[in-house]
Amino acid sequence: MASSTAACDTGPGPEAMASLSRHWAEAPTLRNWFATVDHKRIGRRYLVTAGVFFGLAGASAVALRTQLAGPEAGILSAWEYNQLFTMHGTAMIFLFSTPMLFGFGNFLVPLMIGARDMAFPRLNAFGYWVFLFAGLFMWASVPAGAAPDGGWFAYVPLTDERNSPGLHLDVYTLGLLFLGVSTTAGAINFIVTALKLRAPGMSLNRVPIFVWAVVATSFMVLFALPVLNLDNVLLFLDRRFDTRFFDPGRGGNVLLWQHLFWIFGHPDVYIIVMPALGIVSAVLPVFCRRGIVGYPLIVFSIVAIAIISFGVWVHHMFATGLPQLSYGFFSAASTIITIPSGLQIFAWLATMLTGRIVVRVPFLFVVGFLVTFVVGGVTGVMFALTAFDQQITDTYFVVAHFHYVLFGGAVFPILAGLYYWLPKLTGRMAGERLGRWAFGLVFVGMNLTFLPMHVSGLLGMPRRVYTYPGGLGWDPWNLLATVGAYVLAVGLLLVVAGVIHALRRGEPAPDDPWGGDSLEWATSSPPKPYNFPVIPRVHSLHPVWDPRTAESTGLGADGDRILAEGRGTLLTSELDGRYERAVRMPQETLKPLVAALGLLIVFLGLLLAGYWVAAAGAALVVVTLGAWLWPPRQTPEEADPAVGGGAV
Amino acid sequence: MNQRLPPRTALFGGLLLWFAVLGGVLSWTVHSLAAWSIDELTCEAGHDNLAGFPLTGAVALAVLLPAAGAATALVVSVLAWRRLRPGPRADDDRSLGRAHLLAVVGLWLNVLALAMIVLGGVAALVLPPCQR
Repeated sequence: MASSTAACDTGPGPEAMASLSRHWAEAPTLRNWFATVDHKRIGRRYLVTAGVFFGLAGASAVALRTQLAGPEAGILSAWEYNQLFTMHGTAMIFLFSTPMLFGFGNFLVPLMIGARDMAFPRLNAFGYWVFLFAGLFMWASVPAGAAPDGGWFAYVPLTDERNSPGLHLDVYTLGLLFLGVSTTAGAINFIVTALKLRAPGMSLNRVPIFVWAVVATSFMVLFALPVLNLDNVLLFLDRRFDTRFFDPGRGGNVLLWQHLFWIFGHPDVYIIVMPALGIVSAVLPVFCRRGIVGYPLIVFSIVAIAIISFGVWVHHMFATGLPQLSYGFFSAASTIITIPSGLQIFAWLATMLTGRIVVRVPFLFVVGFLVTFVVGGVTGVMFALTAFDQQITDTYFVVAHFHYVLFGGAVFPILAGLYYWLPKLTGRMAGERLGRWAFGLVFVGMNLTFLPMHVSGLLGMPRRVYTYPGGLGWDPWNLLATVGAYVLAVGLLLVVAGVIHALRRGEPAPDDPWGGDSLEWATSSPPKPYNFPVIPRVHSLHPVWDPRTAESTGLGADGDRILAEGRGTLLTSELDGRYERAVRMPQETLKPLVAALGLLIVFLGLLLAGYWVAAAGAALVVVTLGAWLWPPRQTPEEADPAVGGGAV
Repeated sequence: MNQRLPPRTALFGGLLLWFAVLGGVLSWTVHSLAAWSIDELTCEAGHDNLAGFPLTGAVALAVLLPAAGAATALVVSVLAWRRLRPGPRADDDRSLGRAHLLAVVGLWLNVLALAMIVLGGVAALVLPPCQR
């Protein structure tokens, strides 16, 4: 149980350590701030940027709830309300949840698998810059009064040019296409990293659950996102160039949008939740002082959800008048997919039941997750049944359900992960007392906000209304939800205060403050630029609890796992983690930033119909990519595979 | 695990293992796409047959053939699961441990896939194909 790897005191000598520092450290200059390719710095930036977008989307939600606190309120106009609720949903789904979890993945996946960086560090930096610019592109539309206003799923014909004139929906389609470049690049990077850069000995049955979850999510992104991109391209063409893809009067099909959107949209629920479930599987066992129960079944559950989630999309369309037999096929899959999700819940409960629980702040957030996610899961099963779904579709019951799934299933695990890995991210411990207060307020506020929505929905309150008449029985439930939103906001502000306090005055964190079992706890807090002085050899599912792994980085350290003479890491085989060869990793560079700026120019040009500007941006991207991919000049020594010929 | 086997045997064993893992969900994918699209497109066109073949029969084929595929994959995965149990010193042969994990994953994937196909078949039995 005790951390053993970090305790080993012999390993590479001082010369090797100095050489590693020389090759991996980035000089603290302004240029390197923009040029960094270090996965840890990029991961932290993802977390902070996604956190800022979460703050903006959360502030939008507080404004929406203030408007809905009582009937006939006039705080927001319908025009403002439509933009704010659309940006709230769009930002929470696309600009917060997935990028936040990609941030955890960026920081943690290389550390958990014993690698020195992501497989494609420059692509990683490019992905971050594209995410930042796409987020700014979309949020800048709010003060300009041109924010998307058709709901986060932008159904046609509401969103066609005739019914939604102006730039609002062009910001939506182009913004999501822009962001999709980042998400796709990140997904490819995670897959290659997890398949090729695992430490020797880490066969598939020894891969941490969080890494399994990130890889499964990445595969889902690669299959789901092209469909959304196609949908957005078609809508942009319909709006801008009067094509007819969604116009039934001219041979198009209005349901085509919904089919394409939900082929992406339902897997996206799991794209958001799956890495969060991986966080739970990483955090919970450590505070139960035992390994996770049912590792193979949790892996099965992840794989099953990743596949089956692509066959359930029509349950979002049960009210569109398709043949009932078609509903039957999708209802079957929608019911069955709850089994692997439930399996994970029982595995976590069994882990708690058979473990020795230590109640700390990350554990509290995990418990909050379990309670709220199960509530969201139960209402989710109800939606799989066509008859029930048709009764309550488009009511506040749906809003309550998906907030229990997404807040319960993603935000609670994200907060658990934040408190759990804060020592590794920052080298500082968070205050326990402030964290417990934050948990209490977030848990109470979340339930006070979203539980009453079940009732107002069952009483018939439709979603996406900017106000409502009094006397329909909805008033007290709306008031309760608004009070809850403010309590929740205070709780989340306490989380932010706790992080800032930890950064300024937190106690220095030891390498392994919780007694964790995965490899990120086998290195310093925060990790050195090269992550591990010696790339460990893995002998079990719990390498830090396994003395043989510690021995592999101390007395048993081989030169071919130190790689001190260059910026190198190891390639291993995909299935069994067998040693293949060393590879050289690239240095910091400004090219990813320039390429992302080029893409920003492309999308701004398309938005404002400045097509020559867009062409100039595209030229900048092409030239930058050409320079990026140009083979480096290497001496024979530099091309030596021991140091690593050819940057990955 | 594979080093002691002739290459052809190792290749066949590997393919069989991947069939055991993914055969069921591939069958379910075929079932979903075929049954749904046959039903939806034929009804949308206002027909109750597919090139002269009764629609109910076409949907039944889109249930039964994938069900047979999923059941076969389930049998293969059970056999793989039973024969690939790692010994007490699993660390010495991590390929065996990895293959056993894949067999477990495949076994349960096949069970779910077969269940989804059967439930789709039940829907085809009780609902007229074009009822809205």
